[in-house]
Amino acid sequence: MNLRDMLHISVGNLRRMKLRTFLTASGVVIAIAAFVSMLSFGAGMQENVASEFNNLGLFNTMIVYQKDAEKEFPHDLQEKDTLSTNEPTKIKPLNNEALRQLSEIPGVSLAYPYESFTISVSIDDSIYNTEAQVLPQIAYKTKLHKTLLYGEHLGSDSSREILLTNQFIKEFEIAFPDSLIGKQLIISAKASSVDSGLYAIVKSDSFNFVNKIKEFDFDSLRNKNYVTNILKTEANDAVQRFIDGYMNRNEIISDTLTIVGILDNGIGSRTSTKPILIPMSIAEKFNSKGAGRGAMDFMSMMSSGQLDIFNQKAKPKSFSKITLNIDQGVMHKNVSDSVKALGYRPFSFAQEFEQIQKFFFYFDMGLGLIGLIALITASLGIVNTMVMSIIERKREIGILKSLGADELYIKLLFLTESAMIGTIGASAGIVFGWLISRLGSFIAQSYMEKEGVDAIELFTMPFWLVLTAFAIGLAVSLAAGYFPASKAAKVDPVEALRSD
Amino acid sequence: MNKLWIETANLCRHYKRGSSTVKAVDGVDLQIYQGEYLAIVGSSGSGKSTILNMLAGLDTPTSGTVHVEDIDLFKMSKKEIASYRADQIGMVFQSFNLIPHHTALYNVEMALFFDNTPRTERTQKAKAMLESLGLGERLDHKPADLSGGEQQRVAVARALVKTPTVLFADEPTGNLDQKNTNQIAELLSDLNQKGLTIVIVTHDLQFAKNSADRIIRMDYGKIVEVIKNGDRNESS
Repeated sequence: MNLRDMLHISVGNLRRMKLRTFLTASGVVIAIAAFVSMLSFGAGMQENVASEFNNLGLFNTMIVYQKDAEKEFPHDLQEKDTLSTNEPTKIKPLNNEALRQLSEIPGVSLAYPYESFTISVSIDDSIYNTEAQVLPQIAYKTKLHKTLLYGEHLGSDSSREILLTNQFIKEFEIAFPDSLIGKQLIISAKASSVDSGLYAIVKSDSFNFVNKIKEFDFDSLRNKNYVTNILKTEANDAVQRFIDGYMNRNEIISDTLTIVGILDNGIGSRTSTKPILIPMSIAEKFNSKGAGRGAMDFMSMMSSGQLDIFNQKAKPKSFSKITLNIDQGVMHKNVSDSVKALGYRPFSFAQEFEQIQKFFFYFDMGLGLIGLIALITASLGIVNTMVMSIIERKREIGILKSLGADELYIKLLFLTESAMIGTIGASAGIVFGWLISRLGSFIAQSYMEKEGVDAIELFTMPFWLVLTAFAIGLAVSLAAGYFPASKAAKVDPVEALRSD
Repeated sequence: MNKLWIETANLCRHYKRGSSTVKAVDGVDLQIYQGEYLAIVGSSGSGKSTILNMLAGLDTPTSGTVHVEDIDLFKMSKKEIASYRADQIGMVFQSFNLIPHHTALYNVEMALFFDNTPRTERTQKAKAMLESLGLGERLDHKPADLSGGEQQRVAVARALVKTPTVLFADEPTGNLDQKNTNQIAELLSDLNQKGLTIVIVTHDLQFAKNSADRIIRMDYGKIVEVIKNGDRNESS
């Protein structure tokens, strides 16, 4: 006997019990439809996230930060507090050297720092206080900064052009953003410099110098502690005066640039840009004059040793983060490990997406479990149908055994029947599940449109879902049929032949 | 004397019925020879059908052995016993035991399911067998559409289509009228004449006397008499 004969007999048996087969298969249909539609929603959500990540180029992006001193070296910090030592920190600054090292990591096609300024913008007669960010021209070729809403990208790193972002448009409620293209814009920023800080120290000291001398206890100068205390106090005063001078100079520097485009700003704080994007040459000009720097920038430069007080033209470069663009197909873990080996803290969107995938996996598992519970309930229907079938066909089992059927054949015969119920149920369930997901999608999209939100596809039915649903439907049906089939195989032929 | 084909030794089949034991078959020694027409007669409950079931491997003895060509039947695996039934045995029952929702042709074809006969050949053989038994016009009829005699002939066709070594018939005429009984008796005699070994269980002594080479009479699970070719010989 081959499979065809077995199918022929099974189909015949199921056709003879149309109503019972229909009702039993209906249970499977409902369960599989629930399973498919729920997982279709999970898959749709996952696909939306993946698509958004991909469109924004996040799969090719890694952000590098300095290590967090408190998190990385808590023990060292505690020791510092108690011993008051001046050991240099182990935190490596994100400076130009770091930028060079990071750009040389295999698989990294581009590394650029995050630099921003607090600026004022004047367009026509309006003035906006906002922030500007510097991006190298090559960064606009990455997916992360590629999407333009209007106009074009900056011509070069030295062009006298500027890009606005949709965040700017939104923040300042610009009604017709495209009308800004080609307009002149003046950016200006307050600048702080080292010379103004030094000037503040000298100026104050000259005022108090005589009084300070008078206050000295010259007899105590032999005492080491006394000298140390005097020096500490004076040094602290000097630093405070320097900061005051550094911060309060507030020279205004400005430049006039042409608006060439409006960039889609992306999502998320890690990748979104500031409302205005300026070329590198303009940034360097502002940087050299200390534009936009605040107290925190100053402290950061001090701690990282980037502030060269003897070279007023020195450009302190310490970045809050560096963005890496990673070649397609490169394992993010390898790059991430290299970044860690250099002493920095990487944040990989691809690796983050793996975490999101894990979440979706458990989310899908939860949804699938609900479907499975329904399927297990439906499987009880299959068990019932098959047990009834065995009772009714006991004599037939006896006849088949008398003709030479072995236990395996009888078992396979009944398993084929339960598998057919599963196949019918799973196939119809997949179709019904798809219809439910279409209906759900229609309702959701209608609602989104009504709310003025961009309509997205919430449901998707990938091939793996179809296969999984079918396989689970079949597997559960086979499992449900196994017990009755085994029972049928063990039927005593003598007793079966005597039965009515 | 033809070759010994089946031999039982001290064959017993006991059933537990509550606290008592029913000895359906109790210490039967029996030899069946190739080409022989053997009838087992006895009253209801004498154990004749139980013996037949054990000879066919459908029932398992409580003790004793059944040797088929020197092979102990019940030392075989279940699969081997099933193959023995598929390849060497044809069975006919009093109640025909046709599957009601299949046609006469398919009922006969089913006997060839288990010996790997190709599908086309299977249909041809079944059709030829039914035609040879005068049922050519009834191929597509279901058992309910056939008379008792026709149903039994379909059952005989099913038993014979695989060319068995032996035909076991359990009260094959029990549900038939005289005319159909005669037809079946004639059919079985013809088959035996052609060399088929037949073991028939019947309560109709006259039927047995008219057909069988040897008659075994059973009572209370034991062989009480062996009758050869019309001569009555007392058995121990």
